[in-house]
Amino acid sequence: MSKATSNGQQLWNKVPKANAELFALTYGALVTEVVRDADENLATVNEKLEKIGYSIGIRCVDEFLAKSNSPYCKTLAETAEVLGKTAFRMFLGIVVDVVQHSPSSFSLNFQDNPLSLFVELPENYKELEYSILYCGVIRGALEMLNYKVDCQFVKSPLKGDDTHEIKVDVKQVMSDGAGEDYQEE
Amino acid sequence: MVFLHLFIVNKSGGLIHHRALSPKAPQIGTNEWLRIGSTFHSLYAIANEASPMKLSQNKNVSGADDGIEEIQADGLVLRCLQTRTGIKFVVTAEPGTSDIDQVLREIYILYTDCALKDPFYELEMPIRCELFTTSVDALIRTMERSARLGIR
Amino acid sequence: MNRQPANILDRPLRASRAGDTMVSMSSFAYLYSELVQYHQNRVDSISELERRLESSGYGVGLKMLELLAYRSREYKREIRLMNALQFVSTTVWKSLFGKPADSLERSIDHADEYMIVDYEPLTSTFVSVPSDFGQLSVDAYMSGIIAGVLSGAGFSARVTAHSVQLEEGEHSTAPPSQFNSTNLPPRTEKAVFLVKFSPEVLERDAGMDR
Repeated sequence: MSKATSNGQQLWNKVPKANAELFALTYGALVTEVVRDADENLATVNEKLEKIGYSIGIRCVDEFLAKSNSPYCKTLAETAEVLGKTAFRMFLGIVVDVVQHSPSSFSLNFQDNPLSLFVELPENYKELEYSILYCGVIRGALEMLNYKVDCQFVKSPLKGDDTHEIKVDVKQVMSDGAGEDYQEE
Repeated sequence: MVFLHLFIVNKSGGLIHHRALSPKAPQIGTNEWLRIGSTFHSLYAIANEASPMKLSQNKNVSGADDGIEEIQADGLVLRCLQTRTGIKFVVTAEPGTSDIDQVLREIYILYTDCALKDPFYELEMPIRCELFTTSVDALIRTMERSARLGIR
Repeated sequence: MNRQPANILDRPLRASRAGDTMVSMSSFAYLYSELVQYHQNRVDSISELERRLESSGYGVGLKMLELLAYRSREYKREIRLMNALQFVSTTVWKSLFGKPADSLERSIDHADEYMIVDYEPLTSTFVSVPSDFGQLSVDAYMSGIIAGVLSGAGFSARVTAHSVQLEEGEHSTAPPSQFNSTNLPPRTEKAVFLVKFSPEVLERDAGMDR
């Protein structure tokens, strides 16, 4: 078992918990509001849910860094491993498989999804990416770590697939720090 | 063993929190605080550039930007925790105060619980969350109490 | 690996231990914070914000009632008001929050009012209401849940959430939640959920005494 995985398990055992059904139903209530306010324009709904996920992502990353004692990830592969094995486990209690496609892209595969516990998409809602919240969370969290990424659901049981797959493509690695202002010319 | 002040600087160099941690802490006015915050932010970056020894990519072991970790002066010790997300948690204390690093780490955790989960807190803005200040005070009291009792 | 039946109605409702599935409290807190912010951006007043949170909770309450009824081996529909309230303050609370509510009280002044008290309401665990928001309680969501459960069970009621300062030495006597607690300092306020039943519910219940 990798360090990232065992770390994830330990963290999961320690953190205060909440009922996943309450979590799922609360998300359902939020989705209902967004759908209603968007007049059922599903592309708008997807965008809005992704933005809400982004808002969560830019916040939860600090909690992860503060509480997880995860080592500094120098490569995207290490980051992907920690994201899938430690972070997802710590926050959602789920086991995620990380598949590296290339130095700039990876996928997260998982079965259990606490967001969609009671959900089935009606016929006319096939365009709705129900769990797109995760994509926003990942995009926000990685942006705080200087990765600008595109994040998409590639597979979803709500659309008939066996499993969930989220694909992450790195568009840009940003340099950071106020130091740039003070570098010698 | 006395903690004096806490201040927090966001990634743009703006001061988002300051708090006296003890009645012994000198009074510092609001404008002075703002100056302290932005000055420290700049000095942190300058120290990195001026350092004769550079770490790989200027990042320390936790991946955060390298910079001022500690300032020792006659009357005080200053320690800074720089997060990978660019926030600086800074605590000053009387010389000889132990466990400042632990206090900084705990304050970072309190920030993630009491500010980042508060729907009324806006990122990068001054932290006014009562739960945060109450929890910081409780943390300092606990640290000072266990130091007095010699508890480890 | 077994493929789940396509039709959601054929899939097991994960009845046996499903109610035990967890997420971290943080995940719930971030999600709830977004729900609060979402509503906050669309209202003009504090009372409207509370009403919207109650409304969001109402649907959750209805669904929780169905789930718990389905799962419980000996669920009998409650027909007495006190039993319905106890169902909420024990069964529903334990399922949602890992422990029963701290107390269930009847109002001394109003025959149609009851109070459910929680010393550590989940929804306000990490929240600091700014002073210019007055008496806002973000636990209004939990009021909505209560109202949904009660209404679904045939006991329609108006439920509101109130943050009440704890008295000197007042604290919960219940064992801690089995969901683990945070390391934050003890709270200074408790949540009181005021349940005001509709007149016809009270009449109906009184009628059963005769």
